[in-house]
Amino acid sequence: MPILKPLAGNPNGPQQYKQPSRKGKKAWRKNVDVSDIEKGLDQVNEQIIVTGGVIAEKESEDLFMLDVVGDSALPKRFPKIVSKGLRADEIIAQRSAVPAVSMRKRPENKTTDGIIAAKRQRTNYVDQKELRRLKKVADGQHESTVAIIDADYDMWDTPADDPVAVEKFSFLSKVEKAKAPKTMHEQPLTLAANGKSMPAVPKPKGAHSYNPVFADYQDLLLEEGTKAVDAERKRLAAIDAEQAKMEAAARSAAEAEAAEARANLSEWEEDSEWDGFESGGEELSSKAKRPQRKTQVQRNKIKRRKEEERRVKLEAALKKKNAQVERIKQLAEEVALEHQAMEVEKIEMSDDSEDGNDVELRHRQLGKLRLPEKDLELVLPDELQDSLRLLKPEGNLLKDRYRSMLVRGKMEARRHNPFKKQAKTKITEKWTYKDFVLG
Amino acid sequence: MAKIKRRGQAGQAKNYLTRTQAVKKLQLSLPDFRKLCIWKGIYPREPRNKKKVSKSATASTTFYYTKDVQYLLHEPLLQKFREQKVLEKKISRALGRGDVTDASRLERSAARPDKTGKPRYTLHHVIRERYPTFADALRDLDDCLSMLFLFANLPSTSAVPAKMIARCERLCLEFEHYLIVSHGLRKSFLSIKGIYYQANIQGEDILWLVPYKFNQRIVGDVDFRIMGTFVEFYMTLLGFVNYRLYTSIGLKYPPKFDQLKDDQGAELGAFALEGVNIATNGAKAAVGGDAEYGPDPMLQAAVDKLVRQLKEEPGVESEVIVDAEEVPSDALDKFEPVAPGGDVLPQPSHSSSDPAELFAGMTFFLSRETPRQPLEFILRAFGCKRIGWDSVLGEGSFTTDESDPAITHQIVDRPVVQAAMSSEGDGEDNQTSQKVDPNQRYPGRVYVQPQWVWDCVNNDELKSPELYAPGAPLPPHLSPFVKTAQGQYDPTLPLEVQETEAETLDADLAEVDEAEGDEVDNDMDVESGNDDSEEEAAAELSEEEEDEEDEEDEEDEEEPATLQRQRELEAEIAGKAVASKTVDAKTKAKLEARKALEKKTREEAEDLERAKGMLSKKKRKLFEQMQYTNNKKSAEDMKLRSKRRKMEKELAKKA
Repeated sequence: MPILKPLAGNPNGPQQYKQPSRKGKKAWRKNVDVSDIEKGLDQVNEQIIVTGGVIAEKESEDLFMLDVVGDSALPKRFPKIVSKGLRADEIIAQRSAVPAVSMRKRPENKTTDGIIAAKRQRTNYVDQKELRRLKKVADGQHESTVAIIDADYDMWDTPADDPVAVEKFSFLSKVEKAKAPKTMHEQPLTLAANGKSMPAVPKPKGAHSYNPVFADYQDLLLEEGTKAVDAERKRLAAIDAEQAKMEAAARSAAEAEAAEARANLSEWEEDSEWDGFESGGEELSSKAKRPQRKTQVQRNKIKRRKEEERRVKLEAALKKKNAQVERIKQLAEEVALEHQAMEVEKIEMSDDSEDGNDVELRHRQLGKLRLPEKDLELVLPDELQDSLRLLKPEGNLLKDRYRSMLVRGKMEARRHNPFKKQAKTKITEKWTYKDFVLG
Repeated sequence: MAKIKRRGQAGQAKNYLTRTQAVKKLQLSLPDFRKLCIWKGIYPREPRNKKKVSKSATASTTFYYTKDVQYLLHEPLLQKFREQKVLEKKISRALGRGDVTDASRLERSAARPDKTGKPRYTLHHVIRERYPTFADALRDLDDCLSMLFLFANLPSTSAVPAKMIARCERLCLEFEHYLIVSHGLRKSFLSIKGIYYQANIQGEDILWLVPYKFNQRIVGDVDFRIMGTFVEFYMTLLGFVNYRLYTSIGLKYPPKFDQLKDDQGAELGAFALEGVNIATNGAKAAVGGDAEYGPDPMLQAAVDKLVRQLKEEPGVESEVIVDAEEVPSDALDKFEPVAPGGDVLPQPSHSSSDPAELFAGMTFFLSRETPRQPLEFILRAFGCKRIGWDSVLGEGSFTTDESDPAITHQIVDRPVVQAAMSSEGDGEDNQTSQKVDPNQRYPGRVYVQPQWVWDCVNNDELKSPELYAPGAPLPPHLSPFVKTAQGQYDPTLPLEVQETEAETLDADLAEVDEAEGDEVDNDMDVESGNDDSEEEAAAELSEEEEDEEDEEDEEDEEEPATLQRQRELEAEIAGKAVASKTVDAKTKAKLEARKALEKKTREEAEDLERAKGMLSKKKRKLFEQMQYTNNKKSAEDMKLRSKRRKMEKELAKKA
């Protein structure tokens, strides 16, 4: 039995009681505070008087005793239970006459009774396909969670679902439903250049017929043709510009290289005085004739020349200014014309169509990605057939629908990212200090 | 001094949120946020000054209204999304531990709401919120139908599950059935992209586009997750719209669907419509009726009568067989010009109010090269009850036997085989032989190309089938959706309707001149011969040779001048005054009218000029520019009209 001892001593570290300093009268022995020690000694004396010894020094047996008899009052309080014992004890005490089945694994029987044992089914087996699906689900790519149920009531005939007012709870205050803000009812931002909303399905033009009127078709063909030619021209121009840029860069690089080479050359292979060559620059400058004093005639001449020069300069400036003044008119006219053209365009846009078109789009778009280009919706003249059977459909409806959503501002342009950005891993050879062999 | 305000505390910075901020606020993943925005109709916005809104160093690109996002916080779907997120986390944790069975158990039990007590969610409340009235829903049906019809025609891939496609197809067919019963379809147009349909439902025009069969390429730059989100929403919407439409005409929704028939490609035929009370297949009830659908005795009587009529119809058909020469149809008589190229006679239009009668009483047979689905839909929607087709086109036809005598119209789209052309005439012999010749024609049957159906539908009248006979060059298929502006050339209208006054007078005078010219020519043989040959050449011109015709046009304009000069020369030789030509009263009146018109136009021009003087310089320039473009356009139209006039004249002459 472990000896239980009261917690002795101060849990804090040793310190000098109320004796922060040893200087002065307070440090004298008679002035040291020993009241704690005196109190302790008094306690010990008291213990000795009362119990006949110091408690801390006594054995555990002297202080405690084991109670093995139990509460003598219990049989009086629960006479039935004490006499009969607990039911739980009774149940636990029951023993079967049959010996317990050993849990040890035994090898299978070598002989057979002729009946092939049924193969045990692994019911909780998860196959690879399912596992792959689960991984996808864990990745957030689950299938639709929306339950598609056949409509079985008239949505617009039933009153809006208010919390049913029960009379019993009429004393409760009504729960205010959140109201949709006004901004929710604003139309989405269309990407049309004229800022007008676009229909979900634009009305088809006559030229898009499978068997169009010649005039309509010709117009469309010309329009698309010029567009394609322009695009091609632009592409070629871009290529040319790129090429010119590359060439210029190459040329400048070559020049720089040559210059460097020359510099190197001069540094190392220039003829030096050491080799007996001399440059004559300095000598020449020292030999230059100093100018004579100017005569009055010369001064006058110079003055006249300068005057003349100033006059000519002034005249030129005046002429230039006049020309500019005249040009101001021209510029203003040009600007006015431009404005006018813009206004005409505006008017044409405003009265021409009540809807925006999805060909001319505004410059700023939603999202980082550019809109996908519209497919060319035109059957080329050699493919134009007047039989429905031979028709080769043009355009891609899927893309068309998707683009329509984007153009109507229902969402931002997005592209499916087939590969996630992976964390960069650096491959190094594994090594430890042990791998180093010295010598 | 006013109090200095801190940046980003008020104004735009508070009104807008960037997408990242919104996602963080809602505690959702980005795809979930995107989904929620699509369903709830929250669109990206554009602040006036982007820099004032976002505080980050990198340029944000997408912004939303703060209030919108704040409102999203009240959305019950948000909780569902979060639950899904929790489930995903649980599954990924189980998978990370390698406890696959646990992961699958979690997933399975989440998919079974009866186990977890958490129901899978529907979008019903979202639809109710976005479309407070049925009219709102109808207004947005364009997009919905185009999308669902497109998905119904897609091949199934991992991105587009087959279940979704089947569901789309079913909803679309149910919608088509409604249009058939209610005769709501108005127009249709064969474009190079697909087939456009326009229907009128409760006064609302709905336009949608259906792709041609088997033509959908799946391209890379389309995000199927987003499209799928839209489709889920629209599927729910169309379901409810269908319910409302069906019940409004007293039909039960959903209609009975026969899976077996659908597997055999019956499409529309796989559905059996039932009345709410009695099984009246296709019985027409009051469209747009009220909520009362009790057994109305009047309606019951009408239905009974209709059923009786349907029963009697076989008898009518047998009559048809007897005199197969005449097609008994409800079509009104057509006033055809006695000679081709005669005056265009005003046709008795089919009461345009009732498209249900256009193809009523006809029996169609679709050859195997024709597109069955659109034809079946359109024909049924315009009152045709019996449509047969070749068995390769699928189940559900009225008859698969091409030689069925009940057939009145056959739609053919194959070229006429040249070698067999001669045998085309004697149809009597061919009828006796059982083998179907490629060019065989059953007598008493109208053979047309598919475009005939579309043109009939768009013009609300039965077009003459000769124009659309197999092998014949088809007239152009015009878009019924193009609005012609005032004074613009419209090929469908007769010339008289759209000509301007001046043009009519000019044309009349030119005619008179020509007549006189002919008289003069009779005197001078050399000239007449030349003229005739020229006319013949002109008559031979076909429509395609436009350029040549242009030249011809110019020559025509020159002609009066040359004639005039010739007349003067003649007069000089004879020694008489020039004004020797006799002018009858009619011509004189016309000349006078023309003069008056010219005067009037001149006066109007002067007035305009005067009015223009009042305008500021800027506005005047603007006005002039607009006038210029308008004149250019009208000149083009005039040219087209004159071309047509000439052609009509030539045709008349030829006859």
